Amino acid sequence: MRIFTTTIACLLAIRGYCQTVISGKVVDEHRQPVPGANVMLAGTYDGASTDSNGAFQFISTEKGRNILIIRFVGYKEFNQELQLAGKPLAIEVVLKEAINELEVVTITAGSFSASDERRRTIFKAIDIATTAGATADIAGALNTLPGTQKVGEEGRLFVRGGDGNEARTFIDGLVVMDAYSPTAPNTPSRGRFLPFMFKGTSFSTGGYSAEYGQALSSALVLDTRDEAVANRTDIGLLSVGADITKTHAWRTGSIAGKIQYTDIRPYFNLVNQYLDWITPPVAIEANTAFRQRFNNNGLLKVYGNVNNSAFSLYEHDIADAGITYPYHLENTYGYANAFYRQPLSAMWSVRGGFSYTYTDTDTKIDGQKIHERDAGMHGKLVFDGSVSDQLELKTGMEVYHHRNDQDIQGISPAGFDETIGAIFLETDIYASNRFVSRVGVRGEYNSLLNRAAADPRVSLALKTGKKGQVSLAWGTFRQSPKSQFLRIENSLRQENAQHYILNYQRIDNNRTFRVETYYKKYSDLIKFDQFGQLTNNGNGYARGVELFWRDNRTFRNVDYWVSYSFLDTERNYLDTPYPVTPTFASAHNLSVVYKHFISKIKSQLGLTYSYTSPRFYNDPNQDVFNGSKTPFYQDLSANISYLPKSFLIVHLSCTNLLGRDNIFGYQYSVMPDADGVYSGRPIRQPAKRFLFLGVLITLSKDKSINQLPTL
Amino acid sequence: MKTINFIPLILAAILLVTAASANATDKYTEAMQKNITIVYTSRSATELTNAVNVFERIGEAEKTKWEPYYYAAFGYLMMATSEQEPAKKDNLLDLSLKSLEKAKAVNPTESETAALEGFVHMIRVSVDPASRGQLYSGLAMKAFGKAIALNPDNPRALSLMAQMQYGTAQFFGTSTIEACGTLSKALDKFETYKSANALAPQWGKSMAEAMKSKCN
Repeated sequence: MRIFTTTIACLLAIRGYCQTVISGKVVDEHRQPVPGANVMLAGTYDGASTDSNGAFQFISTEKGRNILIIRFVGYKEFNQELQLAGKPLAIEVVLKEAINELEVVTITAGSFSASDERRRTIFKAIDIATTAGATADIAGALNTLPGTQKVGEEGRLFVRGGDGNEARTFIDGLVVMDAYSPTAPNTPSRGRFLPFMFKGTSFSTGGYSAEYGQALSSALVLDTRDEAVANRTDIGLLSVGADITKTHAWRTGSIAGKIQYTDIRPYFNLVNQYLDWITPPVAIEANTAFRQRFNNNGLLKVYGNVNNSAFSLYEHDIADAGITYPYHLENTYGYANAFYRQPLSAMWSVRGGFSYTYTDTDTKIDGQKIHERDAGMHGKLVFDGSVSDQLELKTGMEVYHHRNDQDIQGISPAGFDETIGAIFLETDIYASNRFVSRVGVRGEYNSLLNRAAADPRVSLALKTGKKGQVSLAWGTFRQSPKSQFLRIENSLRQENAQHYILNYQRIDNNRTFRVETYYKKYSDLIKFDQFGQLTNNGNGYARGVELFWRDNRTFRNVDYWVSYSFLDTERNYLDTPYPVTPTFASAHNLSVVYKHFISKIKSQLGLTYSYTSPRFYNDPNQDVFNGSKTPFYQDLSANISYLPKSFLIVHLSCTNLLGRDNIFGYQYSVMPDADGVYSGRPIRQPAKRFLFLGVLITLSKDKSINQLPTL
Repeated sequence: MKTINFIPLILAAILLVTAASANATDKYTEAMQKNITIVYTSRSATELTNAVNVFERIGEAEKTKWEPYYYAAFGYLMMATSEQEPAKKDNLLDLSLKSLEKAKAVNPTESETAALEGFVHMIRVSVDPASRGQLYSGLAMKAFGKAIALNPDNPRALSLMAQMQYGTAQFFGTSTIEACGTLSKALDKFETYKSANALAPQWGKSMAEAMKSKCN
């Protein structure tokens, strides 16, 4: 009855409408007002925005049952049924936070992600290409980040007291074996893969996902680019060779092929080298990339790389430099990778693939022929899903097969077959946008060593404010001993490491500050016993503090970063008589990278300064094992990229501008001389400087496309 | 008792229906125009948020209109241009694109929507030109191209395209003839092109005129 009366009262009101005043307040879970929220009656124009106190008020002429909707970015939508009958309604609403990609905390302990597309990354794919001194080498650029130790005579990634073998490279989640090109003894090698192939790079210096195994210290995960959008031809004329790339694109895919010829002879004729070359390195390489998108949103990526390189030189005897013997190396390398990804439903997706690596190396040292073949296969299948917006799940399995053979002079062949099967499960649990925990476990079975193991890994991240966050990670990691050991002994166990990482990161409007501390405990490392037999009795530790500061806001057109790493590490492994700091470790590493775009001269200028504190080396003339120290290492490199025309780039780079004679260590003769003294000689840079000149031309219908990002 | 009550009810129902139908376009146009003026003129985040919220409410009530979502996207874009912090700017640009998606769902062949989408990509480049230039300039050019293909008379699409062409030519020191040609076409269309739609976008003329001095 009363309803009827009010209805009539309403109907008889002005113009026959009934007006209801709806007012209220919108707050979040912490009782803080939410300003700017959209309050509306479903299907009508009626509504309002909340003011700075979260309050709203509006008048509606609707009547009866209506749905009140309140919406604000970053919160779950609020719905409530209302009865409108002219009587004022007052509503207080608590909006629940939604877990969303833009606000949510991310796990940053140990990890540096680089991507041009995603935000909040502190290192971008283009940074790798434009860092002076790196000469477009991925490892070279990553060496300017904290957690790495510069080892000038190797060129590989050495992470947190781990040796070069402990960092594993993955392309689209699939393992790459022999990711570095072969080089002359004690000269730096380059990565086989150029940075421009990748749209994203995730470099982890510890505590990585359970998805990645067989890496004690570091996982470098590279994601290849999706399909190209335009037809183009790229030509590179380099001081050390030439390359040509043809790309053909269609609506749903693309194919690209590249042929590269590298011949360093003309350069070596001009610039004096310390090495006594017979034939400097000559390499020919072919690359291909195929991309196809399917109607079901599936994406297929196929990548292949074949390379043949050879060189020969004279090695000089340490005791008597007049005695020389020839050293010849020829290497054939093939890598193929097929990756497929497809959404299964709104919540789940599947990805997987297969990779194959083949390396064949012929080395001839003073007439003695060593032939080594290495083949690796890796198959992987992963399901990624969101169980709810607060729970993400990743699970998968992989099989990894490794075959290695070596023979000397065609006799005494040795080899092994290793198959590793693994399953992993990992969940990300978001308690809120501020707190996430990642719990994962990886189970592995190794057929060669006949052992099974499970490695738990846990990471936590907490936002401490709008810009800062703390991350914590712990996990166990394992890796098979090196091939040279597995060939002769298969009763070994896998080597083991435990990581503990604490990280604080603050990103504030193009300025990043990051500090990280860690402790890494090694166990089951390979060690020779007193009879020269291989055991797993080795152990060690590494601990340190690392700082990173990047700023591209303070100075216009300038971007710079500073990395500092302190490392304290000792190992009792291989042939060390007691725990010592390994020769590749250095206590202090500093890098300063500066990039300046000068539009007046259409050029980008880059400078990189690196410092590495003295490293230990073993002088057999001394009583203390690994007790002698090299001088410190220092390098200042520069590069400049000049864009005179949109399709043309001229690139010039030079390392070691200061011309410092860096010494990485010392080599000693195997036998002492008549006076009982071992003669030694320093391991130094193959040349004082490396100068590179490249002219890159792009032919395309769209003239604004150039190779800048590929530099 | 019951019979008495029915009469005003029916009467009211008729009144309501006729009033509603008579008011439908008026109310729509009125609400739209008021807020279009706000997104064109205001630079206050609060005012823009309020206007965007109104457009979203209208958009949900009027399922066949692309304009409410278009102007919501325009409002977000205006907020993005005055935002200094890159992360927040990106968030606003994301919201702008989201609204444009809704506009496209209603009318997939509207040239204005495509042109605005290109504009969003253009602003995206400005956040980090070095690493975003290649991807987002490409996307912007593609969107402007699509907008012009859908309506060769769209002065906004032409003028934005001219800006991109000019920027590229200037950067590489090449001739700006192509860019200036597109601009003069745009200026021409700003004078001659009149959409039949009363709520059609009107913005962009002053931006094109400001560029004119560079082409003389």
